[in-house]
Amino acid sequence: LAALIVSGVTLGGVAGCGGVSGGEGKQQGGTLTVLAASSLIDAFGELANRFEEQNPGVKVRQSFESSSTLLAQIQQGAPADVFASAAEEEMKTAVEEGLVNGEPEVFVMNREIIMVPKENPANINQFRDVAKPDVKLVLAGKDVPAADYALEILGKAKGEYGADFEKDVLSNVVSRESDVRASVNRVVVGDADATFGYASDYTPDIRDRVKVVPIPPDLNIVATYPIAALEDAKSPELAKKWVELVTSEEGQRVLHKWNFEPAA
Amino acid sequence: VKGRDKVGSSTRLARGSDTLASGLAVASLALLAGFVSLPLLSLGIWTVDKGAWRAMASPVAVDALLLSVRTTAITMAILLLVGTPAAYVLARTDFRGSRVINTLIDIPVVLPPSAAGIALLLAFGRLGLVGQYLNVFGITLSFTTAAVVIAEVFVAAPFYVRQAATGFGAVDRTVEEAAMVDGAGHWRRFFRVTVPLALPALVAGALTAWARALGEFGATIIFAGSFRGVTQTIPLAIFAEFQRDLDAAVALSVLVLGFAFVVILAVRYVTAGSTG
Repeated sequence: LAALIVSGVTLGGVAGCGGVSGGEGKQQGGTLTVLAASSLIDAFGELANRFEEQNPGVKVRQSFESSSTLLAQIQQGAPADVFASAAEEEMKTAVEEGLVNGEPEVFVMNREIIMVPKENPANINQFRDVAKPDVKLVLAGKDVPAADYALEILGKAKGEYGADFEKDVLSNVVSRESDVRASVNRVVVGDADATFGYASDYTPDIRDRVKVVPIPPDLNIVATYPIAALEDAKSPELAKKWVELVTSEEGQRVLHKWNFEPAA
Repeated sequence: VKGRDKVGSSTRLARGSDTLASGLAVASLALLAGFVSLPLLSLGIWTVDKGAWRAMASPVAVDALLLSVRTTAITMAILLLVGTPAAYVLARTDFRGSRVINTLIDIPVVLPPSAAGIALLLAFGRLGLVGQYLNVFGITLSFTTAAVVIAEVFVAAPFYVRQAATGFGAVDRTVEEAAMVDGAGHWRRFFRVTVPLALPALVAGALTAWARALGEFGATIIFAGSFRGVTQTIPLAIFAEFQRDLDAAVALSVLVLGFAFVVILAVRYVTAGSTG
């Protein structure tokens, strides 16, 4: 398989040279590997199609997991070109360990929401209802940004709803999922009464099965998503181009379409 | 090929190729043994080197081990209770559709566990085919230890039932009939004659099924979810810890390895007397 990929890259390179006839000396073809937080799956999926159209012969491979899982994979030497994290912390660790090439750029922002099944079996109509007894609440796993943000929100809410609020909510947790999309799917399939997710996780395909309960703005957090090319990138040129696309006006439009907020 | 004309050289050739063949076979065995032991050795070295064994006593590890012990014990109790008579029927009777049932029982073996998890979710989840009616009675299985057991029974059952049925099938009918002539009732005959004769197969099947239940991951994480002490068995804890703390994941892996080893040795020891 490795040989196949290598020969594909070489062929692409050769074809590129012939086609462009040395005009800009741009290398065409190749594979770009993007590791991205699972909340980016739809927006980056669309951007990958555009990237492949704009760079004929280039193949974009993407892996979507929680930012903490992706960081662990990068630390263990997973071959990848770009890392897009749902939180500054994972990116900071990557920078500190010298895994990142250049300065990370914050490219988008997100907010948390509560999602409940359309039938709303636990009757959750406002944020404070998630503390009611016997609510089956699902969270992403420990250290997954979406869950860390949720805990941050609960910490803030203590002041407003009393000291027991956080404890009551946490005692409702019935499962910790591997990433935020998995926890949203627990609500989609109707087994969980509620979960914390990002505004961008409320995608068109689940809107007929899921309802949003907003989190009061004064308690909500702003999740900032940094992106960076990786030090060990196999295709550093493509990595740079991908970051450019994501931060470009076009990229921002696509991200906005998927409910992300523009960075600053 | 030309050597076939001469008897002497063909024998020598055959002997030579025999040596070559057995040499290759031995080399293959050595290769396989090395291939299996290397990862296990790496686990051990890492554990000692990084002091990862400390994580074995962590609350996450202890809870996961206790949950795995509990759920696999219940799973085995259910399998022995329901699977043994079921296997006997499969082995002894040839009713209409028995071939269909035979195939059906084997399906979880070839079904990827994650697919099994989705299937279980759609059947027993809160809005599932059966789950929605259970929900009316206030019974919800998702996110409970019962869901873990259901997942384990689903994936492990064929391993026990298949081997048990083969074991029962190998018991000579005339021996059973002789016991009947001697006046033994059905129950007595089954427990005094059939089961002891099929015991090696039953034990082997039970061990395979138990090992499969212990390792169950995909169906459990999808159907039951993951929560410490309730649904987070050892394989799920390894996955969760791998995303946070590699040392803890290593420690859990060594822990489950040791646990499996002890159980298999114990079963072999206990049954050695009765199975010969």
